Amino acid sequence: MLVKQTKFWKFFSSVKLVIWLLAIIAALSLIGTFIPQNEEPNVYIDKFGHAGYQFLLTTGLSAIYSAWWFIFFLILLSLNLVVCLLNRLIFKVRFLGTFISHFSILIILLGALIGMAFGQKGMIKINKGEVASSFLGRNEKQVNLGFSIRLDEFIYNENIDPKEKLLVYPVQKGGVCALEAIAQIPTEISAESKIADTGYKVRILRYLPDFVMDTSTKSAASRSAEPNNPAIEIELQDKSGKLATFWVFAHFPDMHQKAGTDFKFIYKWVGRQPKDFISKVAILKDAKEVMSRDIRVNKPLSFGGYTFFQYSYDQDQLGWSGLQVSKDPGVPVVYSGFILLITGLIVIFYVNPLLQRS
Amino acid sequence: MLSIYLNLSFGAYFLAMALYAVSMFFTNKALPFLARFFTACGILGLSLYIGMRWHIAARPPFSNMFESLVTFAWAIALVSIYIDLKYRIKSISAFVSLMSLLALGYASLLDKEISPLLPALKSNWLTIHVLTCFIGYAALTVAFVSSSVLLLRKKEEKNLDTISYKMIAFGFLFLTLGIISGAVWANSAWGTYWSWDPKETWSLITWFIYAIYLHTRFTKGWRGRKAAWLSVTGFLAMLFTYFGVNYLLSGLHSYG
Repeated sequence: MLVKQTKFWKFFSSVKLVIWLLAIIAALSLIGTFIPQNEEPNVYIDKFGHAGYQFLLTTGLSAIYSAWWFIFFLILLSLNLVVCLLNRLIFKVRFLGTFISHFSILIILLGALIGMAFGQKGMIKINKGEVASSFLGRNEKQVNLGFSIRLDEFIYNENIDPKEKLLVYPVQKGGVCALEAIAQIPTEISAESKIADTGYKVRILRYLPDFVMDTSTKSAASRSAEPNNPAIEIELQDKSGKLATFWVFAHFPDMHQKAGTDFKFIYKWVGRQPKDFISKVAILKDAKEVMSRDIRVNKPLSFGGYTFFQYSYDQDQLGWSGLQVSKDPGVPVVYSGFILLITGLIVIFYVNPLLQRS
Repeated sequence: MLSIYLNLSFGAYFLAMALYAVSMFFTNKALPFLARFFTACGILGLSLYIGMRWHIAARPPFSNMFESLVTFAWAIALVSIYIDLKYRIKSISAFVSLMSLLALGYASLLDKEISPLLPALKSNWLTIHVLTCFIGYAALTVAFVSSSVLLLRKKEEKNLDTISYKMIAFGFLFLTLGIISGAVWANSAWGTYWSWDPKETWSLITWFIYAIYLHTRFTKGWRGRKAAWLSVTGFLAMLFTYFGVNYLLSGLHSYG
């Protein structure tokens, strides 16, 4: 064989090369975990300054895993694998495990390549009641789905810690507040609760994690989903049925007393965690509804070769839902590589020793 | 009420460690037998704890740092009792018990409160992913202990090298299963099986280091000290994958 005597072949046959390539790829990957990857320019400018950003951009350090030099080492690793596989193409049982496990890595890389060449990935932001039929895919290209998807409803549920309560203290004449709370009201948005036997009733209307007063519309809104200023809006009904609504703030316990002087309300905020993100969607093809389903985290919807994943949502008004759309024909290839890899390792570590013993 | 099982297991692991340590200096058959008995008690206690927590929470108890540490301590003890029965090296058993003890001790400093599952974790893959990862971590921890003992001793012992290799082979298989189950899960939750998230990247770095260990062993015949140093390096990368990524880096995998 002539090819096997070339310098090229000999270089890629060496096991020393594998070890160096594994070490180099590991080291480069490591750098990528300490430098933010594929972020907006201002993230880098804030952290490293303009010169630093330029440096990261030209060297490719701000997008290591797609930088030419990173891909270069992956190609070297693949060539190394191919040459070593061809060199050891001996059909003996004791080489089977080694062959399968190394071949599987090539299959996984091939699957990744198929995904890069023929796959699509992008985001769809749909407003409630509206329809989307295309999305911005790779390289900022508009991709037509060939059908439409409509968002009928977006639901966000939170888990409220059972210890979270609205405490009610009676205020005596002269403005002296009692030390004991006379009622502990759960803070789920719900029906009315009585304040002990005072004849008053309260109802929780709304919860905002980061209360802010929008000065232009004079309405309350949440600046973010972070609990920076948790507040609940309550409706207080007195004995005669007169209603008053006001906000109670977890971090500013003295800020609400406009509405009632008979009680002091303390909002004991403990912490809330997301429970469900549900996008109720319908699939429309040729103006006909063909499917109606819920998309949740871990429960994507697949249709027409595309898969839709719950990804983001409107944190202020719950008015829109962000869905990740993906089409990756490489996935079955990658998964068969996974199965081969596991099989190969089991053969190397556990089947071969058994065969050798017997 | 539940934490009594945790405390009993902690006590059992401590006694096991002390008995193994004492038995290093006295040849007495009863000591290692008692140590093994206490390790078994510790495993039983943690199994009960995990089972009851699973029942009370009505979900798999593998969702945060505390729960993963308990699983880790449980898996280490499980691997350790196998190694002890097979090789009966008291110093290894003593140090492995210490590792279990450290994991449980660290867990006891964290919040034990049962909190509901985040939407991202509500999946059947949770149990598979966490168990494969932590069984792998446990085996790699035992390999680390055995390699360290090898490095600390003046005379190279073949047994210690064999234990390291066997545990790395087993741990590497389970680390592979852990990474693959994570990839498949990520694909069903986010639509990408690999996104170079710090946790993913560090698990790959760890995998590469152990791959280097296996290649140098099979093709260059690295044994003893050289191999032991690679085993220690791999373990440090594993620790960073487990703790470092969560505390120092940010990413998708912020649960534990």
